[in-house]
Amino acid sequence: MRKTYRYKDLSFAVADNASVTFKVELVSDGNKVQTLINVPGPNDPEIKDNDTAVIGTGNTLRNDTTIVVSDIMNPVPEEDTIAINYYVNGELLVEHTNPKSDSERPIVILYIKFPAP
Amino acid sequence: MNKMLILLILLFPALLLAQEEVPKLQAPSSPAASIMGLQPSVVLAPKSYKALEASLFSNFMNNEGGFIVPNDFALEFTPYWTKDHGLTLPDYLFPKRLDDQLIRSSSFSLATTRNFLLGDSSASNALAFGYRTTFFISNGADKRRLESLDGHTETLSILNTRIVSAMEEQVARSVTDKNLLCQLIQPVAEQALKDSKLFSKADQQTFIKELIRDIKNIELDPADPDAFLDSFIALVDEKLEGEQAFNDYKDYIRERFGFSVDLAYAALLNFPTNDFEYSFLTRQSVWITPAYRFADKLNMLKIMGVFRYTWYNLDYYARYFPLVKVYDRNLDYGLAVNVGFDKFSMAFELVGRHSNSLVSAGFDPEGNQLYRKEKDNDTQYAGTFSYRLSEQIVLSYTLGSSFDPILNPESTLISLLALNLGFGSPPNPSAR
Repeated sequence: MRKTYRYKDLSFAVADNASVTFKVELVSDGNKVQTLINVPGPNDPEIKDNDTAVIGTGNTLRNDTTIVVSDIMNPVPEEDTIAINYYVNGELLVEHTNPKSDSERPIVILYIKFPAP
Repeated sequence: MNKMLILLILLFPALLLAQEEVPKLQAPSSPAASIMGLQPSVVLAPKSYKALEASLFSNFMNNEGGFIVPNDFALEFTPYWTKDHGLTLPDYLFPKRLDDQLIRSSSFSLATTRNFLLGDSSASNALAFGYRTTFFISNGADKRRLESLDGHTETLSILNTRIVSAMEEQVARSVTDKNLLCQLIQPVAEQALKDSKLFSKADQQTFIKELIRDIKNIELDPADPDAFLDSFIALVDEKLEGEQAFNDYKDYIRERFGFSVDLAYAALLNFPTNDFEYSFLTRQSVWITPAYRFADKLNMLKIMGVFRYTWYNLDYYARYFPLVKVYDRNLDYGLAVNVGFDKFSMAFELVGRHSNSLVSAGFDPEGNQLYRKEKDNDTQYAGTFSYRLSEQIVLSYTLGSSFDPILNPESTLISLLALNLGFGSPPNPSAR
């Protein structure tokens, strides 16, 4: 069953010229994750499974909400939990977990603002 | 209470279909349960995938033909899966080293009974413990199938995230006019469909046309747009047939094409006086179970071989089973065929047994001990029919003829109804 988990009003302070990286980390076993980071403007980075992407600088991300959408599936029979961590510039932003009895194919959506420090 | 529960399960299986807390289980199969005789089958089918598996066994009939509550217990536990390792799906599907497979599939089993009958028909306590691991060797058909399933689900996920993020972005900008939303979403969806190469041009147009039509039928409350967005996500998933693609992938992982070998060991401990301090290691078994699952049109068919070597403690049997003939060493060898469908499966096995013992035959003129070799051969055959009542409950029935039992050699009929229950890990309290 498909279920959506939304994490709203997330905020990460970043200086105008500072580069911003976004990292997806698989915690539980056997997850398959496709993540799209919808940044203000074109060229939205995409991440497959565990990886890190540079998503812009403070001033390019400031004007609008960055929306991260992860399409997750876990077909592994031994695993009963989906656990994925999201990091911005190495700092843990969201720790998502859900039992597979709730959803084996969740969608996780993060709404992130990048205000000035 | 247990009687009531079993009656409820037998009479109202539909009640159980609503529960979907843990993945599918297979028929009972732990080495400990097998050596104790709770399970008559010699061939150990691959173990269930849950970290914790508990089984109740009974033929549900006593000597008078009345209904009895099952009182034997078996449990199988796979420690590796009790903690997270962050394995990606390829890491999981293709372990790089042999010891990875060994550790991941190592399981420990325990079985107990209060009705282990001694030679004088008195009941005693018995405990069996076992270990099992499985090695799987992927073949070309397996790799091709996994590449196909993985590629397809990945394409769908890319498509899905692009379309969903575009809708989330517009709604986050407070666009709540459905006509305007459709205008803004359409070029994104068209480009995503084109990039995916999944659809012909005509199918792309049909997809977009139907998507736009159906978006307009979803209610959008500007004060609470999440319900609209959730319905939109479900709509896109339905059109992409994402659930079907996922289920195909999940089902295939459970029954991969290729060759596997199950290795197992079990031992049976008896407490003949029911005193914990006084026990005998009565018999031990080692199993080697090679199996091959066919690809393509024969993919419902699996063939397993079995080699089981069992050795008995003759001193124990001489003391507590003085009237029966027990051989020191027994080699079982045979073949099993498993045919599986969606909820129903059948398994047949034919196993031969070669037994022998070295018996003291006095002394030669020089005073050296002499032995005489005694031998015997026997055959067992059995058929098991299993039906999956729900994701966590399997009902199975086994009928056949067993090897001559130690206590009553004439009682070779196998007639066993078994109910296998699975329990998942406790839910994570931080889960949302």
